[in-house]
Amino acid sequence: MKPGCALLMLSTWLVIGCGGPDPEPSPPCERKCQDATALRALREIMKLVFNLTLQGNAVGPQDETTPCPMGGSARVFGQATSNAVQGAIEVDLTYELTECAYLQRDDEPPENYNMTIAGTVLQQGTIAVQPSATMALNMSSEAVSFVGTVYDPPIGFEEPACAVRMGQSGNQLSGTICDREAGTDL
Amino acid sequence: MPASLALLVAALLFLAWEARAQPAATPAGPPAPAIVPPKLLSDPNVAYPEGATGDATVILVVVVSARGSVESATPEQENEPFSSRAAAAALGWRFEPARRDDKPIAAKIRLEVRFRAPVVTEQAPAQPEAPAAARAGAPVPASKPPAPLEILVVGERAEPSRSATLSRAEVRQIPGTFGDPFRAIETLPGVTPIVSGLPFFFIRGAPPGNAGYFLDGIRVPLLFHVGVGPSVVHPGLMARVDLYPGGYPARYGRFAGGIIAGETVEPEDELHGEYNLRLFDAGALAEAPFADGRGTVLAGGRYSYTALLLTLLSPDTTLEYWDYQLRATYDVGADDRLGVFAFGSYDFLGQRTQTETLTLFATEFHRVDLRYDHHVGERGKIRTAVMLGLDRSALQQDRSVRNRIAGLRNEIEYRLSRDALVRAGTDLELDTYDVVLGTDALSPSAARVAEFFPSRTDLAFGARADMVVNVDPALEITPGLRIDFYSSDGAAAAAVEPRLGTRTTLSERVALLSALGIAHQPPSFVVPVPGLQPGGLAGGLQRAIQESMGVEVDLGDATTVTGTVFHNAFFDMSDPLGAVVPQINGCPPGAFPTDTIGGDRGTQPDNPTLCGVPRFPPGTIGPDRSGGGGQGADSRGGERAANAFEVRTLGEAYGLELFLKRRLTSKLGGFVSYTLSRSLRSFQNRKYVATFDRTHVANAAIAYNLGRNWRAGTRAVFYTGLPKAPDPTDPSATRLPPFFRLDLRLEKRWQLSKKVWISAVAEWMNATLAKEAVSTTCTLAGCEAQTIGPVTIPSLGLEGGF
Repeated sequence: MKPGCALLMLSTWLVIGCGGPDPEPSPPCERKCQDATALRALREIMKLVFNLTLQGNAVGPQDETTPCPMGGSARVFGQATSNAVQGAIEVDLTYELTECAYLQRDDEPPENYNMTIAGTVLQQGTIAVQPSATMALNMSSEAVSFVGTVYDPPIGFEEPACAVRMGQSGNQLSGTICDREAGTDL
Repeated sequence: MPASLALLVAALLFLAWEARAQPAATPAGPPAPAIVPPKLLSDPNVAYPEGATGDATVILVVVVSARGSVESATPEQENEPFSSRAAAAALGWRFEPARRDDKPIAAKIRLEVRFRAPVVTEQAPAQPEAPAAARAGAPVPASKPPAPLEILVVGERAEPSRSATLSRAEVRQIPGTFGDPFRAIETLPGVTPIVSGLPFFFIRGAPPGNAGYFLDGIRVPLLFHVGVGPSVVHPGLMARVDLYPGGYPARYGRFAGGIIAGETVEPEDELHGEYNLRLFDAGALAEAPFADGRGTVLAGGRYSYTALLLTLLSPDTTLEYWDYQLRATYDVGADDRLGVFAFGSYDFLGQRTQTETLTLFATEFHRVDLRYDHHVGERGKIRTAVMLGLDRSALQQDRSVRNRIAGLRNEIEYRLSRDALVRAGTDLELDTYDVVLGTDALSPSAARVAEFFPSRTDLAFGARADMVVNVDPALEITPGLRIDFYSSDGAAAAAVEPRLGTRTTLSERVALLSALGIAHQPPSFVVPVPGLQPGGLAGGLQRAIQESMGVEVDLGDATTVTGTVFHNAFFDMSDPLGAVVPQINGCPPGAFPTDTIGGDRGTQPDNPTLCGVPRFPPGTIGPDRSGGGGQGADSRGGERAANAFEVRTLGEAYGLELFLKRRLTSKLGGFVSYTLSRSLRSFQNRKYVATFDRTHVANAAIAYNLGRNWRAGTRAVFYTGLPKAPDPTDPSATRLPPFFRLDLRLEKRWQLSKKVWISAVAEWMNATLAKEAVSTTCTLAGCEAQTIGPVTIPSLGLEGGF
């Protein structure tokens, strides 16, 4: 993605420094790649739900419900506290996703998805808000349903009831989905 | 300050009036009869004198008899051999005589005859009579200079509120503007750039969102492709561009910070056109008559092939722009003309993925203006027009805004008497906005901003009138009044705007000009973007009181100088740019928070809000920003932007403008434009220098005819740096470093026949490759100015016409 570069080119009409090779054809996205994108989708939906509901709330017990951007809804409840100076949030939350749909489009093929997720996911740990804090989260569910597509060009992805265990350290996401190991960098 | 300036204006007006007052007042009585000036029937072109060099202008005082013949023609100043040649030619001219109440009368008029050094054709063998002079480097005698018409009836006075007018021919000679009349606005006094090369301006302290763009009286949502590229109208269509920085005529309203008004060329009754080919785009324009000259049809446009270039050089980015102009007129009677003028523009900046192209930013607008013009005898004219339009902008994540426009306007100009001209009109505009926020979720701050842009229907209705009154041969006043009614998303507001312009002639060469006016505007976006108009009139109308006083001196020899003092007061400004207080980037030495436990990241924190300031309010839950990408996460930057969008500020700007110009089409022409100003904002009981205030802004350009159809020009631009954020390492510094750049232009022209010409043009904006300081960046080791650029635009192109 080089919008800044393109704008600079327009403003300068210079055609140097913004070049690059022709785009390579997308590498095939096998099961591991698909699982990584599904894991990303789940994490980003949780992140969105958190930001749409709890962000800005007073610390303490939480219970909020929000519609999801492309249909469905999500409820999040539990405890959340924070240290604003250190820029860290401690969470012990439960996410109830009801056919919660979301999509992401990007020029990186593995970061594209259009997914509808249902299930209950637990989230515990620390969410870092500023660079000096460290993200350390555990998320798990006994049964999550995934229906949609991953990758660009889209590949169908469907898992009706799948156990998920994932941890996030910094921007690294890793764990298992349907007992298959998966991981990605956010 | 407003009171003192108003007093100054009044005092100067009084002195001027006293100085020019006639012993006997104009006698009272019936209205003076209407006088129609003589109209030239002969070919106005005058042969260029043999052996002469350079361009020249001769002012002739011509006495035209009641039969239309020229009884005498006397040059005002001797400038041989041009003055004799002009006088001799004028004695042979025929006029349609002047008329008083439709009866022919004799009249004395002043005419301006311009001589341009003729071009030297490269086809020497085809012109055997010329080679000696051509070889000697002297201009070849020109039988007749090409169009445009080089004769004007002196007396078309600039309106007092118009700070400057640039003709197309002059703009072509200004380096760094690429022959674009709208881009040349940045060279005028009172105009303060945001960043070099970016054609969004502060005009006498008013932000870019408060400037109105008009083309033939039609509001245009943006002037430049992709915000920073060439203008959206082919330059060949433009007759001139006027800048009204304040106290503008009553026909302009709904903008509180200045008017940039373009006027298109009149239809011509013979085939003509022009074209240009540059590295990044190509454009053409042609007009032809039909029905024995009763009708004309014009088509023009520009297409950018930057998409192709970008495809080769940056495969994942795509950029496109094009524009079009279509115009047709038909004279249905001696006094009646029907016309249609359609124009539009399209810009697209996108990002290619494997399967689709994502929109990063896209805009388009279209206008169709249907006109009926009627002449009311020799005394006036009426225009009735219906306008349909579409504005559309699209952003990432399928977000878009669309505005469908329907407008109706009526305009009348009628000369009541020799000394009184009435101009009046009404206009109605209906804007239907469809806003789509897309499928993604918005952060709280973005959602706050989005609430300003609901889907809705807006209505604006205005009525206005002014009268140009010659109270005395030395004093012309133009009182006016404009009333506008606004309705948007259930809210309504009305604005009453008195205007007053005066022109006091102290001598044949010296005049005092003053302009005073009130202007209102609904809340505006940061910069003009099609369809992005805040709705609901939240916070009420913006209001500006604009006043200026100036002196205009004709130095002769096509040289004029103007000096103007101005003062603008702004109320309830929606000026997000001006309301954001400059902040340093990074943490300055000693500012790193010592009472927090920082992670070992190996780098310094990259956000100034970390320097001892909590990222979010204590006792609340912050956002989850892990991995970036937004997903509804809010930030302090987003909060600041949303806050800035909501606040209303008070503002004030005052200063001095100087403009010295010698016609750029002269053999040696140029201008110096200088603005000394101060722009202030008041917000939350705090008064501060506006974010984009620049104390000094200067432009100086010179264009010189090198002979043999080579013409070279250069332009220097200087301005003071922006106000600087408090810098703990240099507390005394209040400004970022100043900026200076040099632009160059070189043109070689070939005249292939009387009408056909072609030019090769090399132009380079910012040939000095100067970088511009825009902010301050600090690390624990110290602070320094952060620069951008060099923003430089080299251009090679061919231009031609027929």
